[in-house]
Parts: sequence; C-alpha cells; structure tokens
Amino acid sequence: MLSRVADSLYWMARYMERAEHSARLLRVRLEAMVSQGDLESSEEWRRMLHALADVQADDPSADPRDITFRVAFDRANPSSTLRSLMAARDNARQVREQISSEMWEHINRDYLKLTAMDFDWAWSGNPAQTFIDIGDGIWMFQGITHSTMRHGEGFDFIELGTYIERAQLVARLLDVYLSPPQEDGPKFAAPGYFDWINLLKQCTGFEAYCKVYTAQVAPRKIAEFLIFDPEFPHSVRFAVDKVQSALEQIAPGAPQTRRAACARMAGRLKAFVDFSSMDEVAAGGIAPFLASVLKQCEQIHGAVYESYISYGIEDLLKG
Amino acid sequence: MSSEKTVLSPEAEELPEDDAAAGGRFARPGIDEPFDAYLIDHTYDECFQPNLWSRPHYAKLHELLSSLPVEEVQRRQLACEQSFLHQGITFTVYGKDSSTEKIIPTDLLPRIITGAEWARIEAGLKQRIAALNLFLADIYADGKAVRDGIVPADLVYGAKHFRKEMVGVAVPRGAYVSVCGTDLIRDEAGQFVVLEDNLRVPSGVSYMLANREVVRRAFPALFRESRVRPIERYPQLLLETLRSLAPPGRENPRIVLLTPGVFNSAYYEHTFLARQMGIELVEGRDLVVSDGRVCMRSTGGLEQVDVIYRRLDDDFIDPLVFRADSVLGVPGLFDCYARGTVVIANALGNGVADDKAVYAYVPALIKYFLGEEAILPNVETYLCRDPKQLDHVLANLDKLVVKAVGESGGYGMLVGPHASAGERAAFGELVKADPDNYIAQPTISLSRAPCFVDGKFESRHVDLRPFILTGAETVVVPGGLTRVALRRGSLVVNSSQGGGSKDTWVLSE
Repeated sequence: MLSRVADSLYWMARYMERAEHSARLLRVRLEAMVSQGDLESSEEWRRMLHALADVQADDPSADPRDITFRVAFDRANPSSTLRSLMAARDNARQVREQISSEMWEHINRDYLKLTAMDFDWAWSGNPAQTFIDIGDGIWMFQGITHSTMRHGEGFDFIELGTYIERAQLVARLLDVYLSPPQEDGPKFAAPGYFDWINLLKQCTGFEAYCKVYTAQVAPRKIAEFLIFDPEFPHSVRFAVDKVQSALEQIAPGAPQTRRAACARMAGRLKAFVDFSSMDEVAAGGIAPFLASVLKQCEQIHGAVYESYISYGIEDLLKG
Repeated sequence: MSSEKTVLSPEAEELPEDDAAAGGRFARPGIDEPFDAYLIDHTYDECFQPNLWSRPHYAKLHELLSSLPVEEVQRRQLACEQSFLHQGITFTVYGKDSSTEKIIPTDLLPRIITGAEWARIEAGLKQRIAALNLFLADIYADGKAVRDGIVPADLVYGAKHFRKEMVGVAVPRGAYVSVCGTDLIRDEAGQFVVLEDNLRVPSGVSYMLANREVVRRAFPALFRESRVRPIERYPQLLLETLRSLAPPGRENPRIVLLTPGVFNSAYYEHTFLARQMGIELVEGRDLVVSDGRVCMRSTGGLEQVDVIYRRLDDDFIDPLVFRADSVLGVPGLFDCYARGTVVIANALGNGVADDKAVYAYVPALIKYFLGEEAILPNVETYLCRDPKQLDHVLANLDKLVVKAVGESGGYGMLVGPHASAGERAAFGELVKADPDNYIAQPTISLSRAPCFVDGKFESRHVDLRPFILTGAETVVVPGGLTRVALRRGSLVVNSSQGGGSKDTWVLSE
C-alpha cells in the first residue's frame, strides 16, 4: 500500500473519531444543561472545554450558545466538529479510489449537510438533536467502513487511526474528572453525582457500566471501568488492544527491523495497561498514569510514521 | 420502473407515407409545447429534419418528451444533479475566503447517433490515429514525411511541443498515442468532421461513463427499447491497452495512474479510472527512481512500477529534463523511460502532432502513410504562416474563427462573428505580429441537439469527443462525450467556459 494512502486513511479515521467525540460531548452537555443551575452548568462547560483542549476554555464571558458554535461549527476553530469532518473528508477525497463508493458518498453527504446547516436554526430547536444526528452519521460511516471495505492493510490503518485517537480522547476526558488539581493546571469543583453519570454518558458507557457494576455510582469503579474494561469499546484498554492488533497486521512486507520498532512500543503500552490495577493507579496517581498513556500513543504515532510513511529512501537501502 | 410506459399516450397522427415509413414523428418545434421555445434554422439539428419532422432515430425520445409532464422531467434532471453532487463529480471554485464545489453541468437528454453514422466515425478515427502514430514515430526517427515535403520542417521541429529528448526513444508498439480524444463536429450538411485531435492528456471519459449511469436511470424503458450499445467496458479496455505496453519480461506488470493531485480539475476522473481499473493512483511524490528503475513508496518499502498512465503534462514529468520547478513530477523518470525500464502512456512529445497548424496536414499524412483518402474530413483551415492565406484571414476576420496553434481548452481564440469590431482589430494585430502562431477556420455552426433548460426543451450546440485506445490493437468504445454549449447561442463547449455535457447513445443498428 502506498505510504501516502496509508497516511490519508489514518488521518481520515482520526478526524472522524475526533468529530464524533466532540459532537458526543456537546450532546451530553446540552442535554444535562437543561436540568442544571447556571453555576454548576458553567463549571461543566469549562470541564468539557478542557477535555477538548480548547484554547479559550477559561473565557468567562462565553455563554453556552457561543461555546457550542465555537466547538461545533466555527470554521476558524481548527478543532471544531465541522473542521474535523472537513479534514476527514479531504483525506477521504485524496484516497477516493481506495475507499468504497458507499463510504465516500456517505462522508460526502454528511459534509454537504453540515456545511449547509444554519446554526441559528439548529440552536432554536433542540440543539442536542443536531449532535445526535451528527454522531449517528459518523457511526454509520464507521459501520459502512466495516461492511464495505476490504479488511486489508488500508482498513488496519483506519483502525489504527480510530483507536489511537480514541485512546487519547478518552484519557484526556478522564483526566479532567479524575486527576486531582495540579499546581499550574485548571481547577474544577469536585464532580457531583450527575457529573459522574454524565462522564459515563460522554463515553456512551452508562448502560454498559450498569451491566458490570449495577447502577451504583462510585467514582473509583467508574474510573476502573473506563480505563480497564477489556470489552467496552470506549475504554482505554479496549482502544490500546485495538492499536496493538492493528499494528500486527500493518505492512507485512516491511523489513523486520521496522516492524519490530512499532510492535515494541505498542506491546509496551498494552503491557502497561494490562498489568496495572486500579489499586496501583490510585496509589501512583491517576494523572501520571493518564499522561503516560498519552505520551506512549504519541510515540507509537511517531514510530509508525518513521517506519512506514515518511521514511527516507537512504534508510531503506540500509535495510 | 414502468412509469414511462404508463404515461405514454400513443397519438394517432396521420403520417405521410414516406416519413411514416422511415419512422419519423410529426412535430412542430418552435410552436408546439413542450418544444415551443426550440430554435430551428439552417443549422443541422440532431433531432429534427428540415421539414420539422423528428428524425427516425429520435422518434422514441421525442414521443416520450412530448408526453412526460415537465415536472417529471425536472425531477429526473434534479436526481441526475444530486447523484453527481453526492458522488463528488465536481470542480472547485476558489473564492476569497472559502471554496465551493460545483457539479459539472449535465443535461439528461441523450444525444443519439445511428449505427450507420457510428460505423463511419469509428473507421475514420481508427484510420486517423493509425496515421498520427506513424507520423509521430517518423518525427522522432527518420523524419521522412518532412523530407518528402508533406509537412514543412519548421512546423514540426519548431513546434512548442516538439521534444528533442524523444528522438531515438523506443516506444512500445509504436503506440505514441495510446489514449486519444478526438473532437468531432457536424457541419451544416450533417457530415461529421474533425475539429481537433487531442493526443496529449485527453480527459472527459469519466463524464461519458457518469452520464450514462445517470441517464440510464432517468430513462430506463427508453434506454432498453433503443438498444443502445454499451460503453461500460472502457476501463477494462484501457487496462488491457496499458498492459499490452508493458516492458517485455515483466510477468505481472504493475500499472499506475500518475495524477497531479487533488487540486487538479480532472482529479475526479483520475480516482474514478484508478478505482475502475483496480490500479494504484500515484502522485509524483509517491514515486522515486532507485537503481535505474521507477518505484513507488509503499508501507512495505519500494515496489517497482512498469507502466505509468500519466495524467500530467510533458512539462511536469521530470524536473531534471523538463521544467525544473515542477514539484509534481519524478526526478530521473525520463531517464528510466528512455532506457525502457518503464513505459509512459501517452508517450512524451505528442503535442507536435495535435498542433492546430499540423492539423491542416493530417489528410495529407493519411494519404502519405496509409495510401488512403481521409474518411473523416478536416474543417477547412487557413494557415496564417502563408502570406496569401494571412491576407485572406485578416480581410475576413468577421467570418472566421482564429486560433492560436499551441493552445487548447478554448483559450487564445477569436470567434469573429461574435466579437466586437474592437476585439477583432486587437486580435488582428496579434495575428500580424506572430502569424506562424495562428490558424483560421470558417465559423461552422456546430449542430444542435435538444437540451432541458429552465423547464423547456431548447436547442443547444454540441460536439462529440470519442475516445480511441491503441495498444496491441486500436479500439473505440461506441459513444463519447457530447459536450454542450449551455449558454444560448454560444458555440464554446469547453467546461472551463460554461459548457456542459450529455450522454451519447450509439444505436445497435
């Protein structure tokens, strides 16, 4: 598979995951806001913005409408849902011949729909519904990808992109709920009962959590579930496992030395998550644990690029 | 989908013996709805005869259009456009702050050609491409045609697109032009004549196929009854053509399509063809030359490439040989090509033979190389390089179309009858300053065909670009891209200048 094609498929998947994540956080936030007081609500908006690494997260003058616009529809904000979807579609367009027509037509239609959307109109009704629709559209795309594209190397790059992105997004989200306030970091009020439920909802995990732990809301159990559950698709561990197995499939023809570099890093991250327990994480500090997950994801990304995508020709001749 | 059948109302018209026997249909374009806005004059009309009856091969379409409610036609036209939009068959219009994507205008009414007409077109195209391939091989080898005085030497060796680097390069099967798009028009007598040869990087074939796809869906019953010859095999034929050009000894040749990238206006076509042929779509940055071979950078390392179907102009192919500032090409590619480790199709340097001045000599070249008369005639052409012809051109600017020889896409031309006196005078100065660079042709009013415009059936000028493939053999898919000048009265069909396209039906008999 062409390195450039692998690059585009990988980023298409990452941007799709990013767009879906921001739409999902907005949806949960907008639904929760309806039954919250102003103070409580603004604290949670701020928490959401930090989870999305928004540069204006601490702007006190922003109201929910401004924030929603900025996070979802602002073309000037490079990490808005709209811009993420546009970037995903741009990448898809560059590998138009590699993905199925069904995938292309779906992403293209979603793009046309979202770029034509009138924000005032979306806001005036039930704004949460807009984000349900956007999220459903992206899930459908991921489903169409599973059902219509060959599960070959291109598909593995899509899996890799999706789950590296997801591991990082979930880790960042957990960080703003679970980590104790840092000296130089943002400070939030301790999350309340509903905030914990909303955290689960932001990971599409409320129902799945109840099946494992019953509806008993305990922060430590929620943390354990969202970090370690091996079967829940939005847990850190699930994503890390997927990253590792995608990397095993990728570039079967590449020289062993190159494959080993990536495999080593993915194996290390998997072992790091597999062999940690909630007790250890709690004892060592949850913030350093999540920070290490984020850093290792970055390193895997770097190794993949060095081995398969942006390698120099001279390196290759050396073997 | 039997809706067409149910709305058809067989009209019991008294047909005069001869027209009825021929299968034409009584019609009064320009008077009766929904053809009341249809313009008919001395120009050849694809659909209607001079006596205003429909031509026999258009009778079924005419009957259908006369009975379908206009809203229904509108609905089907909209469905065509939606389909194009969703498939991303668009070009990008770059604005100040943002860019928008527009669909290539498409008209859902098919342009119909009889089997007999097509047989002549096909024979004529095969003959022409055979002569042009022999001519190109001759230019870059012995130069016999020039020595024998068939074509002036300076016209060939002084041409903008002559590539001295190609002299002595072996081209597999002599197929310089493996993919050709020849522009045909009908003159006022209805005869197909050649307007232009496109021997370099012709485009438009994806629109031919996309139009067929949507129009078949718009008129399924009519399509079936009309016994239209299929064109869907084009991608397979192109792949076979490219495969037949592979360097000897390569069992399973790797064939790639080289595109300038996503910003190119024909990018959709590149992705379409690569997908349909199942070959890799590569950009210059995906290819490297290693050890005298062209390879592509893959996740597993370098993989050798054997045949490159390039959709990149000569100038950009290799910055070491041609334009040094090209970032689209591959350094060292030409050297591999000259040594024969990789094949590039179309060959480089073809532009010398589709030059608008060389065009005038093609009938003579056919005679010279094949000993045959040209089956498809040329449009009469005045060469401004000849002082006598130049005088004639300058004295008749109001009647002629004047074109710069090295340009394409409808640029650098003057349509005399449609230009103002000032424009004509200014263009006349350009011609006088550099007569070698211009040719002139009488204004031929391209034939007209019915189009659906703003809820009415109107007549618009059309041309025809069939695609000819040459590898182990020469094949022409029965059809082509019918380009339409959608602006009323306009003769310019180029998509860069307000043109659209429509499906072309070649009938089985």
